[in-house]
Formats: sequence, C-alpha cells, structure tokens
Amino acid sequence: MTVTSSPVLQLEQVTRTYRQGEVDVHALRGLDLSVGSGEFTAMVGPSGSGKTTALNLAGALDVPTSGRVLLEGTDLASLAAHQRSRIRRDRIGFIFQAYNLIPVMSAFENAASVLALQGVSEAEQRDRVMPLLAELGIEQLAHRRPDQLSGGQQQRVAIARAIAAKPAIVLADEPTANVDSTTAERLLDVMERLNQHHGVTFLFSTHDDRVVAHARRVVTLMDGRVHHDDVRA
Amino acid sequence: MMLLRMAWRNVWRNTRRSVVTMASMAFALWVMVLYSGLVQGYLGAMEDDILEMEVGDLQIHAEGYLAHPNVYDVIDDPDAIVSALHAQGYGAAPRLLAGGLGASGEASAGIMLRGIVPELDATVLKVADRVDQGTWLDASDPKGVVLGRRLARSLGAGPGSELVVLTQGTDGSMANDLFTVRGVLDTISDGTDRAAVFLLAPAFRDLLVLDSGAHEIIVHRPRDVALPDAEATVTALAPGDDVKSWREIMPTLASMLDATASLMVIIFLIVYLAIGILVLNAVLMAVFERVREFGVMKAIGVGPLSVFTLIVLETTIQTVLAIAVGLLLALPVGWYLATVGIDVGVLGGTSVMGVSMHDIWLGQFTPQLVGTAIVVLVVIVCGATIWPAFKAARLRPVDAMRYR
Repeated sequence: MTVTSSPVLQLEQVTRTYRQGEVDVHALRGLDLSVGSGEFTAMVGPSGSGKTTALNLAGALDVPTSGRVLLEGTDLASLAAHQRSRIRRDRIGFIFQAYNLIPVMSAFENAASVLALQGVSEAEQRDRVMPLLAELGIEQLAHRRPDQLSGGQQQRVAIARAIAAKPAIVLADEPTANVDSTTAERLLDVMERLNQHHGVTFLFSTHDDRVVAHARRVVTLMDGRVHHDDVRA
Repeated sequence: MMLLRMAWRNVWRNTRRSVVTMASMAFALWVMVLYSGLVQGYLGAMEDDILEMEVGDLQIHAEGYLAHPNVYDVIDDPDAIVSALHAQGYGAAPRLLAGGLGASGEASAGIMLRGIVPELDATVLKVADRVDQGTWLDASDPKGVVLGRRLARSLGAGPGSELVVLTQGTDGSMANDLFTVRGVLDTISDGTDRAAVFLLAPAFRDLLVLDSGAHEIIVHRPRDVALPDAEATVTALAPGDDVKSWREIMPTLASMLDATASLMVIIFLIVYLAIGILVLNAVLMAVFERVREFGVMKAIGVGPLSVFTLIVLETTIQTVLAIAVGLLLALPVGWYLATVGIDVGVLGGTSVMGVSMHDIWLGQFTPQLVGTAIVVLVVIVCGATIWPAFKAARLRPVDAMRYR
C-alpha cells in the first residue's frame, strides 16, 4: 500500500517538558511530524531522544507543553480527559512492549475489549474478532488467558486488540522488544500484512533493526527533534 | 457486563486475600448480629420487667409522695382517674403501699406491702404471670399473700406458710395480722424480690385502717401513644397529682439503658471500623498491584468512571458474599439464642440497677437489627472503597503504565 497524502497524525512544533526533582527535562523541543494514512513508519533514535514521549502525545496519553497534536484534524490538547479517553478507544490502537493484556480476560475477550467498550454486541464482537485471530494464527487460543500464552502469542492478541476497532492509527511502542527474533519477524510480517491488505496505519517507536528493515518510512529523532526523515520507495 | 465479569474474576485473582477479607466481613457481621441481638434481648427484657412487672409506663402519686412516701399521702379519688383513663384506652390500676415487718416461723424481715385489685392490676402489669410457686392472689382468699423470691427465701416461707405482718395503721395504732402465703414470685426486681408482699386491697385497707384513696396509680399507655404524649394526657386527667413517666421514676436505670444502647453502637462502630481498615488495606493493595493494568485499561479507552465502578463492583461482590455467609452462620445461632437462650441461672438472679436478670438470657433478633448490622457494614465498606477506587480512577495512563 502506498502512502496517501491525507495526514492522520500531525505534531506541530511540539514541546514537552517534565519536571524531575529540581530539573526541567526537555523531552521534545519543537517536534514536527506528520503521518499519513496507510503509512508503516518507524520512529528511531537513542534513548532520551523523545520517541516514547512523542508516542504518548500521539496517543492522547499525555498533553504537550506547547505546540499542537492533531489526530484526524482534532487538536488532542484541546479535549477534556473523557474526550481523550473516547478518542483513544475509537481512533487509536496501542501495542505495548510488555503486551499489557488484562490477565483475567481470555485472548478473545482481550482482543474484543475495545469493541466491548464501544458497546458492540457480543455476537458482532465474535464476528469481527474471530477472523482477526484466525488471520493472526491464534484462533485456537481464543479461550486462553494471557498467562497460558507465549510472549509472541500475547503480542498477537495485543495486535488484534489494537486493530479490532479499526482505528485511524496504531501506535506500537517497542513491540518486538520482548520476543525472540523468529517471533519478532512473524509479528512484523503480520503487521506489514495488516498494513498492506487492510490499510492499517502503524507508527512504531523502536530500537529494533528488524522493525526498521520492514518500515517504509524511518524517522530519526535526536534531542527531541526530527533529525532525519527517510521515506523509502 | 464486561465490568461485572472482570470484577468477578478479579475477586478470585488473589483468592487468599479475598477469602480473608470476606471472612473478616462475615465474621464482623456474625459478631455484630449476635452481640446486638443479645444486648437488645437483655435491654428488652430489662425494660419489659420495668414496664410490665414493676413500674408501668407512668405512675400517679399524691403531690410530694415520691419525695417522702408515707401512708397518709393518698390520691383522693383514684377510681375517677382510673375510669377516665380507661375511657381513653389507657390501662390503670390503683395500688396501696406501706412498709412493715414480716415474720414467718423464727425469721423476720422488712417488707413492703402492696395492696392491689387483681383484675385491674392485670391490665397494667404482668406480675401475676411471674408466680414461680403456688398461685396468684384471689378474691376468694382474702388473707392470702404472694411474696417476692428473696423475701420468701430469707423467711423460709413458701406456699401454705403463715406470715405475720406488723405495721402502723393510719389511725396510729399498731396493726398486725396473720396471712397465708399463696405464692412466691420468680425474680422481678431487687426491690420486689427482697421485700414485696402482695395482698388484696381490702385486706390492706383493713390492716392499715385506710378507708379510701390510693398511694399510686400505675398507668399503661396504648402502644401507639408516645411516652411524652401519654404523660401529658395523664397529667391533664389527674390535676393536682404528681404524674411521672418510668424514665423519671427510675432515671438511673433509664440512663443506663440509654448508655448501654449507645455502647452497643460504639462497639458496633469499633468492630466495623477495624473491618473498614482491613477492607481499605485489601482494596488499596488490589489497586496498587494493578496500577499498570489500570493504566493500560485507561489507555485503550476505559473511562475513569468505569475504573471506579470496577473496583466498587469487586468490593460489592465480596461484601454480598460476606453478608450471605455471615447471615447463614448468624441466623441458626441467633435462632438458638432467641428460643433457647443462655442459662445464667448460676448468677442467682443478679440484679442490675435494681432489675433482676432472668435465669435464661434470651436474644432478640428483629429484621431491623439485622438490617442495621448489614447497612452499617455496607456503609463502612463503601467508605473504605471509595478512596482507592477514586485514586485508581484518577490515574493518568502515561504515569500508571510507567509504574513499577
């Protein structure tokens, strides 16, 4: 799938400053970044370069100190907490490094949790999630709890959860950090396939070269700014 | 539905902690139901004894009689007051009172003569139901008397025994007469047990040469009339006489009953407060253990209200189960205590503030009492849950997911 011109996510002159004890930490110092619909973008950079902070802002988990974060044209900072909560539920998918599945829910229930929050009926949840689990190769594990799944299987459930509600963008924070290289390759294949076949927009924060190798755009951050932006053919 | 399912599973996630929390709540409920039932039974029996065996709801005396009791200060026309009270639905019975000396065989003791009209007395007090040995007074036996329990014991008298009564007549003469003991009462109150000699009013009048009047009228109010209202009504019907409620006649006892009831509430709160702290600790632990999880939930769009609801639901499930178990365990024991009771006969009729304890201590378990124990538990548990639930609901996802 090719990158379309309509931006899903825009970060405009974004700064984020934390207070750490007596010291101000400038995590982002005027970051400009635009992610178009259907992109498969990796955000790389050394520790402290601002990758995770940028991802948190893009995911409406945090608000910028200054600048604007626009998701499908909506300024996230202008929203109240409950509105940001709704945006996260309806328009953003998250994949975390540590999977972060709800331990008391089965794989199916985890994958369908966002749909359940949206009030989708159980029958429709099944109709939408089971094919997804099948596509991710974990259909037969739908009834298992997270502690009965391997790391790779848990991350597939997390991917299913992230894309089940058809979000505008999936934000993945080091999604391959906790799995072995074979599993990492499989996960990347799965995400690439979802991107190419279903048009799911991915923005990764990563140190992993394998992710970079799969990405069609690589944004390098340095000291809270875009240092390099490489769009591959 | 999803939240309820999650809450149910979260309860069983740390089974040991949940079981300990629920067991504590169930135990507290069990203790409080039984404790308050026993105290209520004790207070109820005591109040019944005061109201139904001894004092009645209200008493009328001649002005000044209570301060300095003497045989000369009588209510002039007791029959008119009694009739007027009966007409208003009140129970009323006149009594004649005098001190004296009683002797049976070689033993003697100070006595308090109580001259009564049995059929009227039965409308206000239930002394006749407390005859332990022999029978109650009867008009066919004008010289029959009924003795208090301890008096009978100290005189070595029982049904059929002779009792010589010495006292002073209202004409200044030495009055004495021979009576036959018809019956001995079970324990009622310290005063009655130690000194009471019940006899028929005509026999009293003959002995003390008292032609008219009564020293006391005992009044029993209709159940739907509050004590202060009854006092006002009776005062209006007995102008010039002294009308007092049982709370005024026995202020120390009334205070003790109030204090005991308050103490019950305080113990209630102390026990429940301890449980509240335990629940608070359990809920706080459950929240702190899952800070990251709440962060993830909030990240994927679970709202603060849902997080709050989830934690409240978890505690609600535990509380409902604890209440069910607590009641299941308390009801059979409560039934036993209410029907069979605890045998305290070994205490030998110990009296508290002049009111004797029954040989069998029965509990009194009402829906209101059980309901109160449950409601207080629920309120305390809610109080202990709200803060941690609020804390979890307010977590910022970005901070929560970083929490270790």
